[in-house]
Amino acid sequence: MILEIKGLDKFFPQTDHDKIEVLKNLNLQVEEGETVAVVGQSGSGKSTLLSLLAGLDRQSSGSLRLRGQEISAMSEVKLTQFRAENIGIIFQQFYLMPHLTALENVSLPLEMFGHKDSLQRAREALLQVGLEEREKHFPHQLSGGESQRVAIARAIVIRPAILLADEPTGNLDNATGVQVSNLLFDLVQTTGMTLLLVTHNTELALRCSRQLTLQSGTFQ
Amino acid sequence: MKNPPAFFWLKLAFRELLNNRRFSLFFLFNLALGLAGFIALDSFKESLDNHLGQNSKAILGADIALTSYLPFEEKTLDALEARFPQNTLSTRKTSLFTMVATEDQTRLVQITGIEKEFPFYGKMVLKNNGVVESKNVEQSLALSGEAWVYPELLFMLGLKLGGSLKIGEKKFRIADTVLDDPSSSFSSFGLAPRVYLAYSQMQETALLSKKSRISYQRLYRLPDGTDLSGLVVKLQNKINSFEGSDSKIRILTHKRAGNNLGRLLGYLNDYLGLVAMIAVFLAGIGAAYLFRNYLVHRFREISILMSLGATRQQTYRMVLWQLGLLGTGAALIAIIISLAILPLLPLLLKQFLPNGFETQLSLGSLLFALVLGGVGSLVFCLPVLSRIRTVQPLQLFHKNIGQQDATPVLWRQALSYLPLLILSWSLSVWQSHSLIVGSAFVGMLLASILFLGSIAWLVLFLAGKLSQTSGSTMKRLAFRNLQRNRTGAISCFLALALGTLLINLIPQIYQGLQEEVSRPDDFRIPSLFLFDIQPEQMEPLQKTLSAEKVNLNYLSPIVRARLEKVNGNKFDANSKEVSLTREQERQQNFRRHNLNLSYRTQLSDSEQIVEGRPMTTNFDLDSGKPAEISLEVRYAERMGFKLGDLLTFNVQEVLVEAIVINLRRVQWNSFQPNFFILFQPGVLEDAPGTFVGSIGGLVASRRMNVQNLIVSDYPNVSVIDVTRMVGRVLKISDQMVLALRMMAYLSILAGLVVVFSIARHEVEGRLWELNLLKVLGARFSDIQKMIQIEFAVLGIFAGLFGVAVSLIMSYGISWWFFENLWKWTWQTSLGSIIGVTSLSVGVAWLATQRTLRSSPLNLLRS
Repeated sequence: MILEIKGLDKFFPQTDHDKIEVLKNLNLQVEEGETVAVVGQSGSGKSTLLSLLAGLDRQSSGSLRLRGQEISAMSEVKLTQFRAENIGIIFQQFYLMPHLTALENVSLPLEMFGHKDSLQRAREALLQVGLEEREKHFPHQLSGGESQRVAIARAIVIRPAILLADEPTGNLDNATGVQVSNLLFDLVQTTGMTLLLVTHNTELALRCSRQLTLQSGTFQ
Repeated sequence: MKNPPAFFWLKLAFRELLNNRRFSLFFLFNLALGLAGFIALDSFKESLDNHLGQNSKAILGADIALTSYLPFEEKTLDALEARFPQNTLSTRKTSLFTMVATEDQTRLVQITGIEKEFPFYGKMVLKNNGVVESKNVEQSLALSGEAWVYPELLFMLGLKLGGSLKIGEKKFRIADTVLDDPSSSFSSFGLAPRVYLAYSQMQETALLSKKSRISYQRLYRLPDGTDLSGLVVKLQNKINSFEGSDSKIRILTHKRAGNNLGRLLGYLNDYLGLVAMIAVFLAGIGAAYLFRNYLVHRFREISILMSLGATRQQTYRMVLWQLGLLGTGAALIAIIISLAILPLLPLLLKQFLPNGFETQLSLGSLLFALVLGGVGSLVFCLPVLSRIRTVQPLQLFHKNIGQQDATPVLWRQALSYLPLLILSWSLSVWQSHSLIVGSAFVGMLLASILFLGSIAWLVLFLAGKLSQTSGSTMKRLAFRNLQRNRTGAISCFLALALGTLLINLIPQIYQGLQEEVSRPDDFRIPSLFLFDIQPEQMEPLQKTLSAEKVNLNYLSPIVRARLEKVNGNKFDANSKEVSLTREQERQQNFRRHNLNLSYRTQLSDSEQIVEGRPMTTNFDLDSGKPAEISLEVRYAERMGFKLGDLLTFNVQEVLVEAIVINLRRVQWNSFQPNFFILFQPGVLEDAPGTFVGSIGGLVASRRMNVQNLIVSDYPNVSVIDVTRMVGRVLKISDQMVLALRMMAYLSILAGLVVVFSIARHEVEGRLWELNLLKVLGARFSDIQKMIQIEFAVLGIFAGLFGVAVSLIMSYGISWWFFENLWKWTWQTSLGSIIGVTSLSVGVAWLATQRTLRSSPLNLLRS
């Protein structure tokens, strides 16, 4: 099992006696290589769940174990390192560094940790997403679909154990969205990575092996 | 897991700066201008300081002198000279006032005995033999027993070169006349023409044995790099340990030698230091403002890096690299600009600057600018930098990066300002050479920031209220924008107001200083000064001069006196305290002065009452009240006298009581006979006294004729040609006025660039919002109107309050720093308010042009 969530709560305190409960007593187990889609309406807590899974936020209570390690018990430095080695994140808005080329964007997470073969691995990743010809292009020279493919290459270049995707096709037109999702699922299948994606797109969700609906902070 | 390569973060930082070229260029230009201003000002100040310092050394003829009215005891001198560093050179000089006689005339002169080493600094020029050298003194004065005299003495006594002059018991042959004497300082010109003899010949005049008031001087030339102030303290401490007449030995440094020149030099140095500091502050404000905007827009990239595995410390490191690169780059550019400009200055200002004046880039200020560029930009931006703490990568899932306004922890926020406070304080203390003045300046600046911040909050609160009242949509939208975008608006307001404050501060202080060092508009340079006019000679003298179509101006009575008591307590003229500051030194000098009293019915053009009421026109002896007096304000401050104090004077052994009725400011550079103490009429008229007056506007030939006429008809009246002396003092004053004006303009230019970049950046940051309004159907003119209203409100209030605070601050600085030389020029204030408002609105207009031209498609793309 790669991911195990038990009794996970997340709330945001408002005043001394008031709080907003975003996630309530969530339980989830995800096996290695599994693809899971989390769907739900706006405000259902999807993004908050993704933040917790990515180790970008801390739960209020409960347990969140990734590869057998309790994330909430890790220090900030340890968590950063753990994320860099195990978690790949794909954002809806791509979030590429505007002043770096496609190749530099992809190699960035490796270079940050002193990998000597970072450029070689980044080129391989770009090849995997079919953008080897665009390695010297800057983000503003790429289309939306190409930008998201670069973002996917950046997420997989570290060879993560789990890939977290936040509406990966949400900013793309239908045709491009299909191309990008095909690529994503192909890669997951080839590499055996675990995928957990958050989406409104039912078609995309149905391509996953399991679908979960989040409503008012709990799985239905 | 390994660490990234050594320069990974540096490379990334550099790439990001390259990608944000506009910000980088503005930041570099802004900071470089401020630093170039600093280097230029500091180097110019040092060059001027050196040059004028050389002049003041020339006035004394040495670095330092010991003076006494009695011959120095050998053991006393040994004890004092033990304090001097090795390789100090020394020479002796003696001077006294005495009457000299020809066969039919007598005249008061200053006899000065010198040795061959004199002067250590400056050049004395003789009419026939040119620049005086050691061999001249040796051969002409010492061996041949000759004398060199001021040319006016020849006219006064009807002598010619080669003629003889009896001084005391001995006759001397007049070998030459002195054309240029650097040691004839401003303060000594009013006494008598000078006669130079050899030091060894002085004894033969037999004047030294008589009970005349003789000044014995030991002049010293110190090795380069000697700490003059430290030496003065050591010497004064030793002198204080002496008993009797030895305890009255005075120390005279070259800085004090020309009292008036020294004071003006002090003003100029302090002012230039202040301007250099303000140039750096202005650049710092601009840099911090630009950096704040830049960093807010970089929050997304920082979040991305953190989501990819960068720690918060690593993101700090990257931003620090950026600041370091920009700061050092700006310093290097500033150095290049300074290197290019400074050598041109002497060429550009050839006609204004004195001969031999050279601007030299000071290595110290170059190195300091380099450090200040790196460290200073970091320190100025630290409060902004600390906002990285609020960046949370989880916001990448929420699409509002950079818009969050997390409330920072108060103590942490306050702590981030601490290095800035320490740097500002250290810089201020260093530049002002005073712990108190530096602290006061920073304190005032801090108080101003707090005050302006409160005003900004109030203005935005009112804008919010106004947005709810009726008015056009764009007007309401403009007010609402101001209220909602509170952080940005307050930053913009503070930056504009502080910029206005600082750039207004410089000309405001300059006005007061210029008033002091420049001459009045109706000023006529005096040619001749007349002394010792007896009361009964007044009328016939004026008639004689009228016949020659010459006016005797500023005729004033002089009565000599001593101060006996202050408020009934005996007055101690010799304070034993060591003089540590310039103020204390002056105070000590003033206490020892014998007093010249005068009386007037009205104040002259160069005088103005600053405290108290005018004196009544006539003293009523029967009233039983003390006489009324007016004191010169700085004299009163140094002596510790205030309004209502009762002073008792000994006027020719008659005690006269007087009460201080008013304090008045005197413009000494008017060259009119002015006095520290003025009595009301009706008190001193019967006391034995003489009159002094001046004659102006005479060309050389007329000066000679008038001198001869006065000397032949009124032999007791001393006539002194002061043209050369006055000309030299005025030349120095003019140089200073020019320097003050140039520095003020330079700093204003730096300030305008800052205001421009701030206003421009603020509009640039709003492009997205403006595009949205266009998409929603707003007309171009409406958008422009909205932006202009916002910037007009910010500009007017920032200008108004910036000017108001600058007036208060400049008054404070002038009162404390520059001896109360303050003058409000409403034109400058009004110009600043209009200028800042116009600039804000104008720049906003320019920036909106770009938006109006751009397609709303950008909005969709973004």
